[in-house]
Amino acid sequence: MESGGSGPLPERHNFEFRGSGVEFFRIWILNLALTLATLGVYSAWAKVRTRRYLYGSTSVAGHAFDYSPSPWRILIGRIIALSFFIAYSLTGNFWPQSIPGWYLAFGLGLPWLINSSLRFNARNTSYRNLRFDFVGRYIGALVAYVIWPIVGWTTFGIMLPFARKARDYFYVNHHRYGGRAFETSFSTLSIYLVYLGGIGIFIGLMAAAGAAIIYLLERFKNFEHAPWLPLMAVAVYLPALTIASTFIRTLSFNLSINGTVFDGKHRLASRVSPWIMSWIVITNLILTLATLGLFYPFGRVRLTRYQATRLALIAVSDLDEYTSELGRARSAVGEEIASFFDFGFGL
Amino acid sequence: MTMVEGRYFYPHAARFAAARASLPERRTLRIDSPDETLFGEFPLRHVRVSDRLGRIPRRFYLPDGAMFETEDNDGADDLLRGTGKGSNLADRLERSWLLILFSLLVSAAAAYGFVEYGIPAMAAWLAYRTPPRVTAVLSQQTLQTLDRYILKPTKLKAQQQAHALAVFAKVTHYDGRVPSHYRLLFRDAPGLGPNAFALPDGEIVVTDGLFPYIKSDTELEGVLAHEASHVDRRHGLQSVYQASLVPAAITLITGDVSQIGQMATILPGILLQSAYVRRFEQQADDDAAETLKANGEDPAALAQLLDRIDEKLCRKKGGCGPSWLGSHPATADRIHRLMEERVKK
Repeated sequence: MESGGSGPLPERHNFEFRGSGVEFFRIWILNLALTLATLGVYSAWAKVRTRRYLYGSTSVAGHAFDYSPSPWRILIGRIIALSFFIAYSLTGNFWPQSIPGWYLAFGLGLPWLINSSLRFNARNTSYRNLRFDFVGRYIGALVAYVIWPIVGWTTFGIMLPFARKARDYFYVNHHRYGGRAFETSFSTLSIYLVYLGGIGIFIGLMAAAGAAIIYLLERFKNFEHAPWLPLMAVAVYLPALTIASTFIRTLSFNLSINGTVFDGKHRLASRVSPWIMSWIVITNLILTLATLGLFYPFGRVRLTRYQATRLALIAVSDLDEYTSELGRARSAVGEEIASFFDFGFGL
Repeated sequence: MTMVEGRYFYPHAARFAAARASLPERRTLRIDSPDETLFGEFPLRHVRVSDRLGRIPRRFYLPDGAMFETEDNDGADDLLRGTGKGSNLADRLERSWLLILFSLLVSAAAAYGFVEYGIPAMAAWLAYRTPPRVTAVLSQQTLQTLDRYILKPTKLKAQQQAHALAVFAKVTHYDGRVPSHYRLLFRDAPGLGPNAFALPDGEIVVTDGLFPYIKSDTELEGVLAHEASHVDRRHGLQSVYQASLVPAAITLITGDVSQIGQMATILPGILLQSAYVRRFEQQADDDAAETLKANGEDPAALAQLLDRIDEKLCRKKGGCGPSWLGSHPATADRIHRLMEERVKK
């Protein structure tokens, strides 16, 4: 099927994942032991090894991804973040009046934090010897991550799908690979349908659970006779919330990935099922709690494998043409200054 | 000579070709194609080699922006042996099952030690170093909030109050206490039932609902001594610090800030927090028993009061839920412990 008789035939490359639970378990448990033994300092190295393993195990069109940041940068980022968190916790507990001030500072600092973090991650992620980049600016991040969510929640969620759309556009459209842009687009109607579906699922599950609880209340007369009833309400609420939020998350992820075009010609595709994702997330959570955490690395590999293998790159060429624009466009000094504040905050 | 097969990526480019890496001289890395076309020779000290990690590809970052990549991890290790490159401790540890088992034990022991001793010790350290002014502000704000929403003025008669204050004086004049540090407040709180609680700066609040249950002065003295112990040991402040430390510690240990990771910390967080608080309650019970004994009274009085309240509120209605969820230890355990105090000396 030749499109217009001229353009090259697009070829579909499915993402592959080669990681194994046992291999990742070894990495994870050693990370944990060293992190505990060093009172948390090793956590920065642990994060790099974890990500590098998961990225390095993911490949498309025969090439694996790479993640190679300096753990020292991550360590500095974590120390700063932890100091702020402790300061916030303490002053928030002792002077609740300071909390609005913290929120204001956090809201104004958040765009900078998000840009730094996304830029740090993108620049340290590479594929076929070329790094990704993120070029989002302060105002863009402020609108996408602070103003839109406020609009979304103050309108009782009616504008939330718009907020989601703004965020996904900001995220995808500011990523670069070999100096070329990613660009996504999807209709407002489709994101609204995703949110309505998620809300419908939540209401449906809670209504069913509510009916069951009302029936049991009738039987036991009141809470003092059945003190586990409020617990049961929590036990239903958490999975319902998980399924509904996973539904919204996966389908809006699919939307923004399926709408993505790279360099005006290559496409991405994602077919993540919200049901399989919910199943994986909930069973991972249960197994992790039941094994006192030992299942965690297996669950993480399981989740990453599923997500990765549902992704595909639909390329019209073999990507040989791409080169790094970074080395040419900017001087090394400018690059260093620009990246001085790019800490890995781990968003 | 060892030769490792892989791919050569041209400088700053996605374009690649099949290639081999070798070390014809100890200090020079040679990258060429299978038909021996030279891609480049590089001083090894300017080449960065990625650490071995599971089976993921190994990368040689070349100084001119080119890159050599191979999936032959063993070959790369052979090639680099003795050059001081490409070997890392973490990988060697990861590949030894014995060390993995050891890590498992270390992690379990460290996590246990941190939860059992680390967090309580940090919270206690902070609590005893909190300036009294901060404590006073915190306590006054808490009391104001409670007065506004939950507590009402007491309906106790002046005579009943005076009597309770006389019993309270016996508690505050106990060894080592400065009586002016403590204040007894009466409040009506229909929603709280029979209850008493202490604020960090020495205010002890007793609800009107408690008095109908009290049959003797010793019982009231037991309750007040229990609350005074919370003040002495700064249990209230310690709880505040623990509540801040627990989630931070869990996130730090798991290193996972994802939504799923956060959800997995909720339940252990709640259980931990209530376990710490139960420990404080037990300590306060022990102190109360000490106070009663020192004043020549029977520590079992507090146990009898607890039993009476439990009888009315829980047993007649079919149970009050398991102790591991509540903030206080199961009443039966507390009574048992207090009765043991009576036997001791």
